[in-house]
Amino acid sequence: MAYAGSAAIRTALLLLTWWALTEGDPAATGFGLGAAPLVALLSLRFFPPSPLRPQPVATLVFSGYFFLRSVAAGVDVARRLLSPRLPISPGYVSYTTSLPAGSPRWLLANTLSLLPGTLSVTLHGRDIELHCLDTTMPVSEDVARTELRIARMFPQ
Amino acid sequence: MPDSPLALIQAFMLVVGCLFFLVGTLGLFRLPDTLTRIHALTKADNLGLGFIVLGLLPSVAGPATAAKILLIWLVALAASATAAHLVGRAVRATDGSGEREDRA
Amino acid sequence: MILLLDAVAAVLLFLLLLGLLRIWRGPAPADRMLASQLFGTTGVALLLVLAESQAEPALRDVALVLALLAVLSTVAFVTRVLRIANADSAGEQHDA
Repeated sequence: MAYAGSAAIRTALLLLTWWALTEGDPAATGFGLGAAPLVALLSLRFFPPSPLRPQPVATLVFSGYFFLRSVAAGVDVARRLLSPRLPISPGYVSYTTSLPAGSPRWLLANTLSLLPGTLSVTLHGRDIELHCLDTTMPVSEDVARTELRIARMFPQ
Repeated sequence: MPDSPLALIQAFMLVVGCLFFLVGTLGLFRLPDTLTRIHALTKADNLGLGFIVLGLLPSVAGPATAAKILLIWLVALAASATAAHLVGRAVRATDGSGEREDRA
Repeated sequence: MILLLDAVAAVLLFLLLLGLLRIWRGPAPADRMLASQLFGTTGVALLLVLAESQAEPALRDVALVLALLAVLSTVAFVTRVLRIANADSAGEQHDA
């Protein structure tokens, strides 16, 4: 049952992508309608449905949080660069995450690269090594907040 | 069209986008090492791209084109985060071997 | 609007050029690899703006491909650097 559900969701996403890629050209619709289910089935053979399914509401909340924080990240970098003193104190910070392996951990590492002041450098099991633009900022607290939101997206 | 409020908002978005790209480029010159430059390049430039995309969206031909631009934006975001992580890892790896040479 | 879009395109092109000049100076290979990042964001923005101002939808496809290629080129570069770094540390262990 989960299999059929995944196939339907993936087909719908592929159709949406196809519609966007062809900019809604009616001449291409037939091909998309034929190819999307086949590609969805093929993708299920290579990437079987994961038990970790993102919750829709938590995902939306996370998207909003991510959007606001990445704006803050750009503003933060701009503020530091435009200040004549160039207030940075770069360095490495290690963080141990409690997120399960797979998409949640990968999502955390990638998100952190776009959030204020952090850049994920290495990912070994639970340990993430971050490069920080300003090590005097409360980096761990920030990371923990992001981690919590990702954890809510993937309830166990 | 040129002076409608929406066009003014679009113009504002596009100009702000350019300013963030300008800051990103400034970062390439002002910052001391590769990793800090990656910080500037990923964060400022992604925000710049975001503003440019938002500025373009209202005047595109149709919803499918708008969806395509949003798709490109998402791909560029993921690409930038992945590339930043990979270059960072490469810098860190060469760092590490440098330290080992010092100790030897 | 077209005039503004062309002005934005000109600014982005100028920034791309400036970035390339900086990257040309290096000095480390990783610094130069930032060029792919630069094209992945500034280049994509430039192409999206041009697609609009020139009414040339194909440029959006170019933007998409550029964003994807930016990652692939970085992956290729990083695997090479990591292999060299690993070979170096293996060589040191042999020496010791």
